[in-house]
Parts: sequence; C-alpha cells; structure tokens
Amino acid sequence: MKDVTATSLEATPALTGRPAFEAVAAEQLDSVYRYLVFLTGDRTVAEDLTAETFEKAFRSWRRYDPRRSAPRTWLCQIGRTVAIDWFRAEARRRKREETYSRDLEQSEDLVDGLPGPLQQALRQLSPAEREVVALRILLELDGPAAARVLGISHTACSTRLSRALKRLEEMIDDVGD
Amino acid sequence: MSATELERMEALLRGDVPRTAAEVRRSALIGELRGGTLRAPDALRARALADRPEPARRPRPSWKLAFVVVPAALAVAVGAALVHGLTRPANNEQSASFGTVAPKTKAAADQQALRSAAAPSVAGTSGRLTHTDASITVAVPDTDDLRDATNEATRIATSLGGFAQSVEYRTPAEGGGASYLELRIPAQNVQRALAQLAGLGTLVSQDVSVKDLQHDLAVQSEQIAQLRRRVAALKEALQSSALPEAQRVLLQIKLAEAKRALAQRLNARKGTLAAGATSRVSLVINTEKAGAVPAQRSRIDRMLHSALEFLAVEGIVALYALIVVSPLLVVGVVVWWLARLRRRRDEHRLLAA
Repeated sequence: MKDVTATSLEATPALTGRPAFEAVAAEQLDSVYRYLVFLTGDRTVAEDLTAETFEKAFRSWRRYDPRRSAPRTWLCQIGRTVAIDWFRAEARRRKREETYSRDLEQSEDLVDGLPGPLQQALRQLSPAEREVVALRILLELDGPAAARVLGISHTACSTRLSRALKRLEEMIDDVGD
Repeated sequence: MSATELERMEALLRGDVPRTAAEVRRSALIGELRGGTLRAPDALRARALADRPEPARRPRPSWKLAFVVVPAALAVAVGAALVHGLTRPANNEQSASFGTVAPKTKAAADQQALRSAAAPSVAGTSGRLTHTDASITVAVPDTDDLRDATNEATRIATSLGGFAQSVEYRTPAEGGGASYLELRIPAQNVQRALAQLAGLGTLVSQDVSVKDLQHDLAVQSEQIAQLRRRVAALKEALQSSALPEAQRVLLQIKLAEAKRALAQRLNARKGTLAAGATSRVSLVINTEKAGAVPAQRSRIDRMLHSALEFLAVEGIVALYALIVVSPLLVVGVVVWWLARLRRRRDEHRLLAA
C-alpha cells in the first residue's frame, strides 16, 4: 500500500477548509466499492467502475464543495453516474449480442459473510433496489444524502428501501420453504 | 406504503428497538446485511489511490463573478450616461451663443442672438428659387397687447403682399392667452416680414429654414421639355397614312401616356414655382404670463437631464434585448427539462431491469 498522504493535491488543507483528496479516497474507497458491487451485482465490474469513479473524482476534486455534501455522498454520486454509463453500454451490448455473458459470473457472492439465502435474494433484486439497500444500510447514508445520490425525493428513497427489504424477506422465506 | 411504516423502518435503521415480530425480523435482516464484509481488493486500492499528475487548472467562471460583472455593467452604463450628459450640454451652449456680440445681459444677448440668427439664411438666397419656412414666437405683456399684436401681424402680412391663412386667438378665463397665425408672405418680402413680426413683442424664439428649389425646378423643366418633344414626335408619326393599324393604336396609347406625364410634370413645376413664390411664416404670440420664456437651466441641470435621457435609452435597449432573448431562454429551459426527464426515465428503466 502506498503512502496516500505523500502527494497531497491540496497543499494547505487547513487553509482551504477541506481534507486532501488522497485522505478522502483512502477513507471512502470501501464504501464506494460496496455501493458499486450492490448496484452492478458484479465485483469485477465494480472494481473497474470504482477505479473510474476515483479517477473522475480526482479530476473534479477542485469543484467539490464540502458545504453541499459529505465526501461519501459526492463520491457515490460520481459512482452512480459512472455505473449508469456502464449500464447503458451493457444494454447496447446485450441488444447487439442478445446474450448476457455476465450470467456466468453471478455465482460469486456479493458480500462476504452473508447467509446463502440472503446472497441469493440480493441477486434477485433489481439494481435500483440493491443500490438503495447499499446506500442506506451498508454505507449508512441518511435519507437526504441517499436521496441526493439517487436523484429522487427522500420519501421516494424510503419507499424504495422499504419495498426492497420486503422483497428480500419474501425471497428469503421462499428459499427457506 | 404508510407513513408510519416508513417512520418505523427509519427508526430501525437508526437502531431503534423493534416493537413487533415483523420489526424484529426486519431488524435482524438489517443486522445481517450490515454484518457482511466487503472490502476493496488490494489491486483496486493500489489502482484507485495511485499517484496521478495534478490536473491542469482551468479557470472556471464562478457564479460569484456576477457580483462583479453586474455592478461593473451598471457602472459603465451610468458612466456612459454621465459622459454623454457632460459633453452634450457643452455643444448646445456653443450653438446657443451663435451670433451674440458682447451682450450686456443674458436676456439681451438671447434677443440679439435670435434676431441675428435668421438674417444670413434668408439673405443668402437671392437669385435662386427657394422656399422659406419660418416660425417665430413673441411675447407681449397682456391680452390687450395680444389682440393688437395679432391684428398688426395680419396687417403686416397684407401690406407686404401676403395674407393670413389661419388665425387662432385664445384668451382663457384663468389669464394669459396666445394667438397662432399661419401667414403666407411673398418670397421677396419675407425678410422684411420677419423683422417686422419680431418687433411685435419680446422675441422668444425664431426658426428659419430655407430649402433650395432651383434643382427641382431645373429637373422638372428638363422633363417637361423631353415630354413635349416626345408628344410632338408621336403626333408627327401618327399623321403618316402608311402606318399599319396595329402600330397606330400602339402609338396612340404612347401619346396618351406622354400627355398625361406632361400634365403631371407641368402641375409639379407649377407647385414648385408657387412654393418658391411664397414663404410660410408660423407666428405664435403669447402673453408673458402664459408663454413666459423658460428659465435657463443650469449646467448641472442640463447635464443630469441629458444623463437621465441617455440612461432611459440604455434601459429601453436592455428591455428590448430581454424581450428578444427571453423566448429563447424559455425554449432552452424547456429543452433542458425534457432532456433531464428523458435521462431520468432512461436511468430508471436501466436500473429497474
């Protein structure tokens, strides 16, 4: 692991009132990766998208305003944009090839340490449902921050999460039966 | 989905104690999800946190720039108005002082300037056909003098071979009064008429314009000569007995057109000669109470007035620009909103699959 504080983009963070990008990136990397794993349902893809997210974030770090959102929210917003671009590309590719090669890779667990039925149920959720679970439960973003990432209202965000949890419960029951 | 359900779910997310069996189950599910571990692989960590060259700093205009640009634009607008106000009165003063020779008082100087200003424009037109259009405003002390001056003005016009085309005489009950006369004076006597009319009272203003009609007259005379020659030639051609019938009809049509054009040109020349023969003089006689000479405004007053006028023009231009641009802005906003809506739907469809 490299020393992330060795090259600081913000030479005088105390003066500018925000942390150095490297410190934020090191702190938020796992969260963004987890979010993208849930959103895409694919760890390999999530790795690529996470790297791309941090690349983009690095380029636009000067425009980041800490008064408007927490670093985690800001990074998840960028990650979501990157992921949606990937979904679009995938949709075009699927349409072209009419196959979805990723089906083979989906046997891999989304998250380590989860019971099998829960892993299976998570896989059956839509990306939209998985991403709200990731944001609210795994990353523990509050309602307004998650809603900001998703570009929807706070109520819509809570409703989506409630439905996702209900579906998870039903699917776990089905697997148990 | 009821509001209470959502509130309870939010409470469970915050770690609140479950109250029902369903909540116990949901709380357990949340706990299980939070209990899972998912860390970024080391390869990704190295990739995401790798050294990168610092991105080139591109200056981006901030919205805060508006705080500078808008006041600066306003300052420029006001500055331009002030410069306009400072320069314009100076020019006016220069033209107002034309013809004054060592005036003892301002009023006397104005009178002298007004009387002398008309002289060159009329005197310099001898030998050429010109039309003079003059307007004079004089002030008299009271309504008795107003009546006398009006009669005298009519008499002056008649004595010089002209006439009063219209006379309007007003003496309102609240005091003061004015009369408006439209006089026609023979061209050769207009200068004398102006001098005599100016002597009816205190001269308030005098405006004389002379239009040279010599060129118009020459053009019209040349056209008339040409048309006369054409008419004569057509008549001569029509006298030939060997002329085919179709050709004869055609020539007759051309002859009729030439005659009509000739009549028009003759009328026009008659009008030009008539305009040159008589001059039009508009005379306004005011009582001093009603038509007091407006007090000369100070330089600062004139400057401010001029600056305000200029600012008003700037405002009109800005308003016009806003009216032109605003429909485009509205279209732009609608297009942006539709594109956003479409993008949102697209995202929703992608992630709901």
